[in-house]
Amino acid sequence: MGRIFDWIDERFRVKDPHRRFLQRPLPEGVNYLYCLGGVAFTLIIILLLTGLLLSLYYVPSEKEAYQSVLRITREVRLGRFVRSLHRWSANLLIVFIILHTLRVIIHRAYRAPRELNWVAGSLTLVVAFFSGFTGYLLPWDQKAYWATEVGTSMAATVPGIGRQLLYLLRGGPEVTGTTLIRFYSLHVLWLPLVMALLLWAHFHMVKRQGISGGL
Amino acid sequence: MNRRRFLSGVIKLFFLLLTVASGLIALVYTYPARIRKLKTVYIPVLDEEDIPRRGVKTVTYTYRRGEHIISTRAFVVNHRGSLYVLSPVCTHLGCLVNWHRKKQQFLCPCHGGRYDIEGRVLGGPPPKPLTRLPLKIQKGKLKIGIKV
Ligand code: HEM
Ligand code: FES
Repeated sequence: MGRIFDWIDERFRVKDPHRRFLQRPLPEGVNYLYCLGGVAFTLIIILLLTGLLLSLYYVPSEKEAYQSVLRITREVRLGRFVRSLHRWSANLLIVFIILHTLRVIIHRAYRAPRELNWVAGSLTLVVAFFSGFTGYLLPWDQKAYWATEVGTSMAATVPGIGRQLLYLLRGGPEVTGTTLIRFYSLHVLWLPLVMALLLWAHFHMVKRQGISGGL
Repeated sequence: MNRRRFLSGVIKLFFLLLTVASGLIALVYTYPARIRKLKTVYIPVLDEEDIPRRGVKTVTYTYRRGEHIISTRAFVVNHRGSLYVLSPVCTHLGCLVNWHRKKQQFLCPCHGGRYDIEGRVLGGPPPKPLTRLPLKIQKGKLKIGIKV
């Protein structure tokens, strides 16, 4: 195994430039609280993998969405397991991003030169919220429908452009099949893509700046 | 073996097992849960009096598979006193063959497969003769059996 990796790496050359990063000494006082971000990232990996599996059976159409989700839980082997894994990871992701943020606040790790990484991190939380919100509509049951009805109607309270914003979000004045497809596309293509870019930036800055030395 | 080597071995083993388990879960999940047995249904394609006395007649018919309406054709052949129906599906890769009256052959447009009037392979890549479909004559209609 190791030998195969080494053979590949001799050509691919990814280990060498990262050695400095992977084998660097850590500052004093680092503890398990520094793993919270890593836990959030692990959850994102689980979401990506289980999401790819769900997309094999999910049908993003007004007529069939609900049935297809029922089919996943009732007929597909391990379907209930994969769906639950996606759901639980989605909820836990928000929890862990917030815990990670609290750790950063408490350690005041947002100070120079890490301000931009604080911004990148905050944006991942926003993207995670939107992923959760758009994903919640996909089962297309009563709860999903009303949650989206209420959630999107908040956009209408923005002064001046509220109404237009609402139409833009819903793809019309009401929550319909158009909204479902919009949310599906955001959920499986746009948001994961934005999330990947943000996380790349986030980890790149961690690599360049190192982690801050505690309090 | 020192502590460092041991721990790195444990971690590698853990990730190896995790990868294998995830792969197995994905495979079980992706494989169809129910594979439906196909059953033969008989579909009327011709009135009895329209059955050819000699030679090949192309018939078209439609049937449903779930929500899907499929339209296709078959060859009703009366040759040397025997009546049979040939499926148009080429046994090479499944293109639909055509009857060429001048050459008295079924020709496949895809890779040049050729069959004689009885469906036997004359040339090209097809490995097997054209499939014969079951037929019966019932209430003045010629019906052919297809798997749905
Ligand atoms: C940022 C990460 C993500 C979050 C927070 C998230 C969140 C959610 C939530 C809350 C649901 C509703 C779950 C349910 O009712 O069962 C859901 C469903 C779904 N997600 Fe995600 N998701 C994420 C990433 C992905 C990705 C990357 C994909 C695919 C490429 C994906 C595909 C799906 C599909 C197909 C469904 C509908 C099936 C179902 O409702 O069980 N998700 N997601
Ligand atoms: S499919 Fe008919 S010759 Fe290849």
